[in-house]
Amino acid sequence: MSRFHRIVTHGILIIVCILMLTPIYWVLKTSVTGDNLFVYPPSIIPDDPNLFFYVEAWYTVDFVRLFFNSFAIATLVVIANLFLNAMAGYALTKQFPAKGLVLTFLLMSMMIPFHATIIPAYLLTADLGLLNSKLGIALPTLSHIVCILLFKSNFEAVPNSLIQAARIDGLSEWRILTRIMMPLSKPAVATNIILSFIWSWNDFLWPLIVVRSQEQQTLPLGLVSFLASFEDTTGSLYAFCVLVVVPSMLVFLLAQKDFIRGLTSGATKG
Amino acid sequence: MALLFRKKRSRELVFIWALLLPALAVYLFYRVIPLVWNVVLSFSFWSPGKPAKFAGLYHYEEMLFYDDAFWVALKNTAVFMLGTPIAIVLAMALALLVDQNIRGRSLYRTLIFLPYPMMIVAVGIVWRWLYNDSVGLINYVLRSLGIIDQPIPFLESYDFAMASVMVAAIWQIVGFFMIIILTGLQNIPAHLYEAAVIDGARAHHRFWRITLPLLRPSIFLCVILGVIASFTSFDLIYTMTGGGPGLATELLITYIYKSSFTLSKFDYAAAVTVVMFLLFLALALIANRLAGGDAGKVDIAD
Repeated sequence: MSRFHRIVTHGILIIVCILMLTPIYWVLKTSVTGDNLFVYPPSIIPDDPNLFFYVEAWYTVDFVRLFFNSFAIATLVVIANLFLNAMAGYALTKQFPAKGLVLTFLLMSMMIPFHATIIPAYLLTADLGLLNSKLGIALPTLSHIVCILLFKSNFEAVPNSLIQAARIDGLSEWRILTRIMMPLSKPAVATNIILSFIWSWNDFLWPLIVVRSQEQQTLPLGLVSFLASFEDTTGSLYAFCVLVVVPSMLVFLLAQKDFIRGLTSGATKG
Repeated sequence: MALLFRKKRSRELVFIWALLLPALAVYLFYRVIPLVWNVVLSFSFWSPGKPAKFAGLYHYEEMLFYDDAFWVALKNTAVFMLGTPIAIVLAMALALLVDQNIRGRSLYRTLIFLPYPMMIVAVGIVWRWLYNDSVGLINYVLRSLGIIDQPIPFLESYDFAMASVMVAAIWQIVGFFMIIILTGLQNIPAHLYEAAVIDGARAHHRFWRITLPLLRPSIFLCVILGVIASFTSFDLIYTMTGGGPGLATELLITYIYKSSFTLSKFDYAAAVTVVMFLLFLALALIANRLAGGDAGKVDIAD
């Protein structure tokens, strides 16, 4: 590659990165200075950065409760996904009558976006008496088909001789799943945890429909009601945005490779 | 002996179904049953607390012949979908750039992908403020550069609102598309290029004859994801414009939400949902056919 070519490539990529990062930088800057309204022209480098707006956001909304709700639901979703998807994925590595039917059922369900079912899903949850509850928020996302298929292909890669040996040693099928298959499929486990956490954490429409009281609000709902009551010109709103975005960004940055693998292999998310 | 074997086999079958049932129950109760229920609801007169009555095609006639808002929402959804080809072209260019052997390429990839995992509600709030006419960064930059002399209230303007929301949507998704296309690029066997070079094919020939045809599954995966996004982009519209000004940014999904959960017209909204689902299915099938039947078949390259 010529020197000129190299410089042009870096030039374009640097400009693109600046464009991509500007909104993120601007939020961070405003969250530590709060000066977007009062200073004109705006300064690029924050002068006198402080955490005042973080403290303000923390106390104006009940941040601890919102965080706890979001975290509790995400934890429930992650654990359920791990068990349900690994179990179904393991079952699908075996031969049994109607296996083709089950696979067709799963692939068809994958073509139904959750958004196309919200009205009956709401009525159903109401009939179950689970409106305004954490379980009601978590229920539709307790399993993701993408992750079932990921587990299935990971389990199929485990050498058959290993499973036979375990069987001869008298291990039960359940133990083979939890003691041999799962530990040998760390990438699938990681992808499953990351994807189900981030999808649950960022979910908005379903909690918006199901949640009725302030006590059950999750972080995105809290953010929207904060916006409605304080207008969009205060530093604390943007401090709140940063606090909400940080956990999913951390998960992403810590496990970038698994996250991207999961998304690109999983194809469509319903 | 045979009896013993059969007993063992049936115990294994029970075990298999016990493993499958919890996951299948989730899809049965939160995908299949709601889908059927939704179709039934769309043919009924029903409101909460009242018995359902058969309505025939009443809601569909109402929607297709008397409801202008539905047609506006449909048109807007189609316009929103036009953001997908733009995002794909950008993503393709970026993927080709970061696929080269340059220093810092993984840093570039990470930075361009960074917006994707962010909570859409927060993204919407931030972009709404960037577009603000008095304190927004975008108006400030455009004015400082002398491109405009009066601030533009982007999200309150009939001309700009839709395009502005689309820019935010593209900003968030372009890195994801880039990664999909990059995965596809890395799966193209290097010997094809080597052979082409020996045969004296120029760079642009190599792109049109090798790269692009072999990227077809990746590109159509992006198309399908773009179609899904245009049917499900509720969060962004809700936080940025609320569907306004007027109906300028109303999408089918926001229209369904308002009809059902704000106006309690659940039966009518169910009919709109049926139409939205059929459109989604048709577009996904077309895209899959165009991709040669394997859209989304992106192998995992480690």
